[in-house]
Amino acid sequence: MITLNGAYVPDKALVGGKAWSIASMSALGLNVPPAFVITTRACMDYFSAGKIDGPLVQEIESGIAWLEDQTGKRFGGGPRPLLVSVRSGAAVSMPGMMDTVLNLGMTDQTEAQLAAEWNDAAFARDVHRRFLELYAKIVLRVDAVRFEPDAPPAAWREAIAAASGVPVPTDVRHQLLRAISAVFDSWNSARARRYRKHQGISNDLGTAVTVQSMVFGNLDHRSGTGVLFSRNPLTGEKQPFGEYLPRAQGEEIVSGSHTPGPLEVMSENVSDAMQELLRCADSLERFHRDVQDIEFTVERGRLYFLQTRSAKRAPYAAVRIAEAMVKEGHIDSDEALRRVSPDQIRLLLMPWLAEGAAANAPILARGEGASPGIASGVVVLEADTAEARAKSGDHVVLARATTSPNDLHGMIAAKATITERGGTTSHAAVVARALGKPCVVGCGVDALMGLSGKRVTVDGAAGLIYAGELETEIRREETEPLLSQLLAWGIERAPIRVLADAPTASPVLDLDLLANAEKPEAIAEALESLPPGGWVRGAIFSTSDAAVQAALRAGASVIVTYPRLPALLVAVQYQPAKN
Amino acid sequence: MIKMHELLHGLAIKKHATPGEIAPLIGTSEDEAVSLLDQAAKSGRAIAKDGKYVLTPLAHVALHYDYSRRCAELRDSVAFLAAYENFERINVELKTLITRWQTLDTAGTRLPNDHSNRDYDLRIIDQLGQLNERAEVLLGRFAGVLPRFAYYRTRLLAALEQAESGNIQWVSSPTIESYHTLWFELHEDLLRLLGRLRSEA
Repeated sequence: MITLNGAYVPDKALVGGKAWSIASMSALGLNVPPAFVITTRACMDYFSAGKIDGPLVQEIESGIAWLEDQTGKRFGGGPRPLLVSVRSGAAVSMPGMMDTVLNLGMTDQTEAQLAAEWNDAAFARDVHRRFLELYAKIVLRVDAVRFEPDAPPAAWREAIAAASGVPVPTDVRHQLLRAISAVFDSWNSARARRYRKHQGISNDLGTAVTVQSMVFGNLDHRSGTGVLFSRNPLTGEKQPFGEYLPRAQGEEIVSGSHTPGPLEVMSENVSDAMQELLRCADSLERFHRDVQDIEFTVERGRLYFLQTRSAKRAPYAAVRIAEAMVKEGHIDSDEALRRVSPDQIRLLLMPWLAEGAAANAPILARGEGASPGIASGVVVLEADTAEARAKSGDHVVLARATTSPNDLHGMIAAKATITERGGTTSHAAVVARALGKPCVVGCGVDALMGLSGKRVTVDGAAGLIYAGELETEIRREETEPLLSQLLAWGIERAPIRVLADAPTASPVLDLDLLANAEKPEAIAEALESLPPGGWVRGAIFSTSDAAVQAALRAGASVIVTYPRLPALLVAVQYQPAKN
Repeated sequence: MIKMHELLHGLAIKKHATPGEIAPLIGTSEDEAVSLLDQAAKSGRAIAKDGKYVLTPLAHVALHYDYSRRCAELRDSVAFLAAYENFERINVELKTLITRWQTLDTAGTRLPNDHSNRDYDLRIIDQLGQLNERAEVLLGRFAGVLPRFAYYRTRLLAALEQAESGNIQWVSSPTIESYHTLWFELHEDLLRLLGRLRSEA
């Protein structure tokens, strides 16, 4: 057992990823809810003993004693009961490991004490219910036990016992030991074993268990919960951006049951915590050299950091942030090229409707936008027709009632797909997104068949189908300032040359002439005939990561494609397989 | 002739398939698939191009009307139908999961997943593995009635293991036998056998 007190950052192999990141935050001086970790070594002892033995029980006890000391609360007792979360953490994250149990430490008695402490009996009851639900689902592995909402917790426990055959312990220490055993046991779940076997990971590494005290953001007006991005992840502006929900728990933001407000609310309610949050966000960003997405909770005015990680970001923001970080001296241009994905560039290079272009265009059909982008073409109703007409150079839009596997080649050939039936999770939507093509679904029964032969423009984000070919605008990688900077770095750093055009006389393996160029096998086969240092050409190299990687493996020295930036990024980010 | 029906059925599910791709799907040897495809091509039911086969339009229609006769027994199988009802429920979850794989919430806005967030991807692949365990139970039940369904179990697991190994295009790429490609073919297979319409709510 190791207490994560920030004095040092323990070995990840011993404590697992979650405990390691808690320790790292503590070591940076961030206020993290107190936690201890039962190491992977204890896990292996558990397997050889077949149970949690006396010495381990002692260690867990001293961990709990430390949490009690740090928080001034008591586990399983009043006046201020301690609740904890229990989570698994192997050195390498893998499928099949146990999910997190929250609010462990709940009994009828502690519920009453928390109701008094919080002055909110309904919330205490709700926390009790959430604990029992998670315990049943995760520790006892029973799905969907029905809880009578107005029944007392004793009835909920009975329902769980009836479904699982095992009672929920009413002693908090038994709850904790059961949860810890369940984490250890999940190391040997069928899925985890299969994964390790397939990946060649040893069965002897074991998992750690992190036990962390819970904090609550809903106790009074000086409590709340939120998310802070150290820069704006939608625009890339160097300005903290976030959301704060006073008097709320984190789950309420995630579930969307409450709409959070802007950060200003936080500076009004808890300005000290806000100042500390901004200061820490800046040091976290400097430490990780990347934009951080920080989850936090304020409990009675005191700020707690729950999690920090690199922030997801919109495509334009990704480019802007990467370049700003180079200018600010956090990273070099090589790293900037690794921070932007080829897909993000492809999204940025997609056309959009020119200002005012749609103002007078009749709308022929509307549905749900399932895959963003703008495309124009003639409407055809059959996949085979779409393929044939595309081959002869026409731009087509494939319209179907719904799509089946038989329509795939038509979707590949078409500029966009539109369907009468289906939602944003339908097959057409999934395939269109995977192909990166605009798609509108659910336009209504018989809404599209009459469009056959008409020229239309599809707006895949707005879910609209306009009459006619509307004017579009596009970014150019060589003229748009942020993109041209990235392009220059890419040309300098990529392990292969990428040209927009080839001198006509140069011998080039032209994949544009290949049937089935979208099939990885077809590309691999064609590249077999490439002489060392040969040139390859094809639109596929700007749209497919795999094609560029195959060209690199085949020893090509030049790729001819346009736009160039996606291929350059793939080449920079490519790491050849070790064997 | 039963084999020929199955071959045509296989071609309806997997378009532009080679004999090697069709054989395991319909539960036959590659040699037999070659000879069946040859027969189908000679009798005008399939067209060969570059060693790959597609159904002719007429064969499509004929096949469609052949199901009710060929599959009458299956359509009365309580075990098969019960497993199918369960499959439709898991199918909804699968589609939602794949959608979350492809798009993600960024500060309140839904954006295409560019797969730069490894933790997010791993979590979804973990959930796909969870779902696959439940699907394996159903595929076992289908295979109890129609043994060739064991094919999907093997292939889905192979796609999952690819995804778990970090080859993330094996989750939903439509141009390879990704998890979603196979799942979708499995769904089409069931819809055809049972004479159901695709309901895409």
